[in-house]
Amino acid sequence: MVTTARSTEQSKPAESTTPAIRMLLAKIGLDGHDRGVKVLARSFRDAGIDVIYTGLWQTCEATMKAALQEDVDVVGVSLLSAAHLTVMPEIVRIRKELRIEQIPVVLGGIVPEADHPKLKEMGIAAVFNPGSAIDRIIETIRELAHRRDADTPAQMQSGYKAKDVCALAKMLTAVQRGDDLGDWRPPSGRANVVGVTGAPGVGKSSFIARIAQSLHDQGARVAVVAIDPSSPVTGGALLGDRLRMMRGAGDFFVRSLSSGLAPGGLAVNCKEVVDVLNGFGFDYILVETVGAGQGEVAIGELADRTILLLMPDSGDAVQFSKAGIMEIADAFVLNKCDLAGADATEAQLLSAVGDDRPLFKISTIRDQGIGAVVDWVRLA
Amino acid sequence: MSSRTSADPSAQPDSAVDTKPFVEPADLGTFDPAKSLGSPGSFPYTRGPHRTMYRDRLWTMRQFAGFGSAEDTNERFKYLLSHGQTGLSTAFDLPTLMGRDSDDPLALGEVGRCGVAIASLADMRRLFDGIHLGEVSTSMTINAPAAILLAFYVAVGQEQGVPLDKLRGTLQNDILKEFHAQNEYVFPPAPSVGLVVDTIEYCTQNMPQWNTVSVSGYHIREAGATAAQELAFTLADGIAYVELSIQRGLDVDAFAPRLSFFFDLHSDFFEEIAKLRAARRIWAHVMRDRFGAKSERSWLLRMHCQTAGVTLTEQQPMNNVVRVAFQALAGVLGGTQSLHTNSMDETLALPTQESAKLALRTQQIIAHESNVTQTVDPLGGSYFVEKMTNEIEASAYAIFDQIEGMGGVLKAIDRGYFRRVIAESALAEQKRLDRGEQKIVGVTDFVEDGSSGVDILQISQETEDAQIKRLTALKKSRDPARHQASLERLGSDAQQGKNVMPALVEAAKADATVGEMMTTMKSVFGSYDGGPEW
Ligand SMILES: Nc1nc2c(ncn2[C@@H]2O[C@H](COP(=O)(O)OP(=O)(O)O)[C@@H](O)[C@H]2O)c(=O)[nH]1
Ligand SMILES: [Mg+2]
Repeated sequence: MVTTARSTEQSKPAESTTPAIRMLLAKIGLDGHDRGVKVLARSFRDAGIDVIYTGLWQTCEATMKAALQEDVDVVGVSLLSAAHLTVMPEIVRIRKELRIEQIPVVLGGIVPEADHPKLKEMGIAAVFNPGSAIDRIIETIRELAHRRDADTPAQMQSGYKAKDVCALAKMLTAVQRGDDLGDWRPPSGRANVVGVTGAPGVGKSSFIARIAQSLHDQGARVAVVAIDPSSPVTGGALLGDRLRMMRGAGDFFVRSLSSGLAPGGLAVNCKEVVDVLNGFGFDYILVETVGAGQGEVAIGELADRTILLLMPDSGDAVQFSKAGIMEIADAFVLNKCDLAGADATEAQLLSAVGDDRPLFKISTIRDQGIGAVVDWVRLA
Repeated sequence: MSSRTSADPSAQPDSAVDTKPFVEPADLGTFDPAKSLGSPGSFPYTRGPHRTMYRDRLWTMRQFAGFGSAEDTNERFKYLLSHGQTGLSTAFDLPTLMGRDSDDPLALGEVGRCGVAIASLADMRRLFDGIHLGEVSTSMTINAPAAILLAFYVAVGQEQGVPLDKLRGTLQNDILKEFHAQNEYVFPPAPSVGLVVDTIEYCTQNMPQWNTVSVSGYHIREAGATAAQELAFTLADGIAYVELSIQRGLDVDAFAPRLSFFFDLHSDFFEEIAKLRAARRIWAHVMRDRFGAKSERSWLLRMHCQTAGVTLTEQQPMNNVVRVAFQALAGVLGGTQSLHTNSMDETLALPTQESAKLALRTQQIIAHESNVTQTVDPLGGSYFVEKMTNEIEASAYAIFDQIEGMGGVLKAIDRGYFRRVIAESALAEQKRLDRGEQKIVGVTDFVEDGSSGVDILQISQETEDAQIKRLTALKKSRDPARHQASLERLGSDAQQGKNVMPALVEAAKADATVGEMMTTMKSVFGSYDGGPEW
């Protein structure tokens, strides 16, 4: 499969004053060729776009539900299996069913010229073939994002009040961007806000997905706020937390955020986002921080309780010492206990922080020990 | 292309321009031809695995293609056999490759599209109907469910009364590159590799003529790796299989000769030749010096090569014919044992018969008209090619050190190393294109308007519907007690860490489906989400 897309000039970093465009990139079906979609995701990031990637093997339904929750400006579907005439009508149908027709969908992949008009006719905003200039793709995305209809604050507020998830999604965007909403404030809620922090790769997103699913299965309404870092140079971001959370698509609400210039591992206006979710009536709001390390203490302010995730042999237990993040954690979760070295790391940890706070040993992928953590989370 | 090699593996290749206009003898340093090259057919086999190479025996022209149903493919096989071909090459459809049955929801629109759909022993029986498995050699491009497909093949062979040691063929069976690049994995890395070792052990004991693993760089390169990374990652994977098989208690000389390799042929002509020469030299040393293999057959790296699909363009597709010809020539000058040439219309859809024929003719012209076959390793001793061979070899060793520093291939996968490096290389190439430092004829330069106007082969929906119907009928007609018991045994053998091959053969005979066997193993092995990097 070719990825010969190109651009004729260097993309300029986005102006820091304009909010980043939010785009969802999806691969649908069993085809695993992801070179093209990965190069595009990174090129978009470098052009200042926030890219939410949902990973391999997605269904049309999970993809569009993600688009709804994330309130993206554009959905990009990558298809190399020549199944576009089966898949795209389904995407368009679900988009209508979910009432998110204002979100434009573009398609990239191997699509014969003869099929382009058919796709346009069914409502696909643009089709890009291998070899399309990246500059042109980015330009099209900017245009589509720009043209997208926005709801008025009044529309959003009444929808939000009526518990319309679409309105919630849009309200979150507005609040995060710092749009002027007059003197509107979300009602106060009773959600249990749980922060999850820990180094990149320890399994925060996977762990949250498991916890959220479990809470949902017990009848709770659950929202997740997942934060990944923005590139300090281009302002764009690769938001990859959601790809660990796709299995429960629709069971719980997920909003991916880029950190922007916010310090402390959170996102700009993160508190406002959590408040809007809280006022909407969620029972639990799980917040995943960037995971930058030591200085990430802001989550302690935002959350009712904070979990620090660690893994065997990571050296974190030593490296974090007693200061900062170790201090604010209300519980420690040693994830990946299916790997070697769990007991040693546990001992290290105990000697570093003592045993007055709970320490859970779990394996997310084996689904072991999760129940105890869920019980602790529920015991608010 | 411009992924010039560098001894520093972390250095990104950045420019197509070599600093020197020509290479001089002094640039080779202390180059000892006797030591670094040897004669063709002698250690370290830099110049080729055989003494006379193509003078006595041309490479195998192995064109790989998929057709919808088992019947269609069977018909095609019989046609090829009646025209003197003895090697059959099987491409499976995406659901089969992913270990899913044809009626799986994610299989929608994919059944029989890019290859044949095999969900059960009944499908396999139809695929080889009227073909005596003792008289053909079958290559199967399959990875995550490779052990299951092997079990089907064994079962069909037994039904035909062919002794196991008479079965000949090849499984791709290289799961490691799936984690690095192609993404057709199901279980986590450790149990996945355990399954590969199960097949190696089973074949070593029962099917000595079977080529167990085709360790593949092709997909790694296509995903964006540089030539040096392709070489190093592939050989590192090979080393991992050897290590684990030895740990299993197998004698290195009993299984190593049945490992083979599969490389990509990209557009940087001399770099590709250097890569193939270096591959043989490295492998010979690794097998002899590190693993203590005594048999020459263990030292020899045998390879299949394919031209680089990723270099083909949709624009001006005729240009692809020329690209493929040069890439194929590099493979021949590099001394490959087997070659697939891509069809010019592959970026658009499955190749048409015309374009597939043209791809084969390209090989025949190289073989019979160019005369490059008449002298072995004609580029041996070229200052430039020898320097490049040395450099790419040094890069590979440096990358081995990095991987070893992380604790080996499996640990490096856990860290997302391969995926990160490959994605970085793919992005770097994109940026070179963006900056105009790298050119693609007909795409970045010499652009023409208008669409390609190439004919495209379309596959009908009927194949899928018929396949699902057959599967439903099978599930109704099989003996439920036997079926159930066979899956239980599979689960318990997997749980106890036994070699699962015997249980898979039994489950195959009890009409368990690919999807059912995979699900059973998943409940023991777990599943995998691609690792930390994406
Ligand atoms: N072995 C093992 N791997 C895990 C476990 N939990 C998560 N992972 C893997 O760790 C990698 C990173 O997970 P992710 O949730 O993205 O981590 P994050 O960066 O902290 O959000 C993924 O490949 C997960 O599958 C576990 O319990 N055991
Ligand atoms: Mg994460």
